[in-house]
Amino acid sequence: MSEPLVVVEENHGLAAHFGATKPVSASSPEQLHAAMNKFAHGAVWVARAGPILKWLAVIDPRAKTPHRLLLIGSPKGPERAFLRAVFESVVVPDDEMKMLGFDELFEVLGSARRANLLVGGAVAPAAKSVVLIRGDLTSLVVPFSWFVARTNERPKPNFSAFEIVDFGQTIKLGDYEAAVEAVLYEFDAEFRKQERKRRISVDKSLGGALRRLRLQRGLSRADFPGITAKTIARIERGEVKEPHGDTLGIIAEKLGVKPEEIITF
Amino acid sequence: MPYALRLPKKFKQWKVKIRDRETVEPPHVTALRKTQAWRIDLRTGEFMDSEPDPGEVPEALVKLIKSEAVWQALREQWDSMYPHNPIESEEESEEESNE
Repeated sequence: MSEPLVVVEENHGLAAHFGATKPVSASSPEQLHAAMNKFAHGAVWVARAGPILKWLAVIDPRAKTPHRLLLIGSPKGPERAFLRAVFESVVVPDDEMKMLGFDELFEVLGSARRANLLVGGAVAPAAKSVVLIRGDLTSLVVPFSWFVARTNERPKPNFSAFEIVDFGQTIKLGDYEAAVEAVLYEFDAEFRKQERKRRISVDKSLGGALRRLRLQRGLSRADFPGITAKTIARIERGEVKEPHGDTLGIIAEKLGVKPEEIITF
Repeated sequence: MPYALRLPKKFKQWKVKIRDRETVEPPHVTALRKTQAWRIDLRTGEFMDSEPDPGEVPEALVKLIKSEAVWQALREQWDSMYPHNPIESEEESEEESNE
């Protein structure tokens, strides 16, 4: 179940965009305060800058809240700093942050699976990383090196042409496209847990997980130093149910994960 | 560049594609409609996931995807995009020859 969605505004223009989703509407300081208390464990908020700044001033918040905010509008630096002091995260569509168009954005925010979709992101060339903003307004940092071209014949990612498309399901870097599901699979253990539950048929053994992760990394069975391909094959087929700790350590290091993480793939 | 099927107008809300970066095992093609996606295993022809409900994909679209020429093209395209994990895995045939 996804977190609640709260829309802050003086009329119901924004809330109407969410269609059947029917977010919680806060159209007064009292309603805003009530929503903050009701959803004390956190919620996703969408607000126009004017009302939220005005009403937060009235309710005098002191402590940082576990809420995450998508701001419509461009408040000045000090006001942004104020909002960042109150909210766990604040996403502001601007020149640096590429967002979905409004129609797709509202569709994603209104989706029960918004956490597994993207609403936007930014490229940080100096850090050789892409910052992705998920539909629950948490962020994920993915290094440039993850966006590989699998063969020389395939287009290489163009980081100066970054977009989120397909209602938050695809990352587009020029002609190159990456499935958001592939990013989450590699970087989010909770996503992998959900994905295993909805798979109709999947080998949940250590061997099955090892094989999937090895292939995801583009490795062959012969790529593990000091371990024969035959041994890897035996582990993957379940003929070795509990590999020796040292063996698992070598495998995990090559795969770039902790040994206990392999089973989650 | 992803491999995307050209679909008739009646499927205008849908996209069917293999992207440059996917989860590679098993090989699959993805049908997308707005915020939802359905994955079809290119080895077995089966839907991979119980959610969203595979029944929500129009039968005519599934039939198109699995038509002989289209299915063959999807499988060939996967192999060219993911040569390290082809449809007919060399690893699988190694295991068969070892049995």
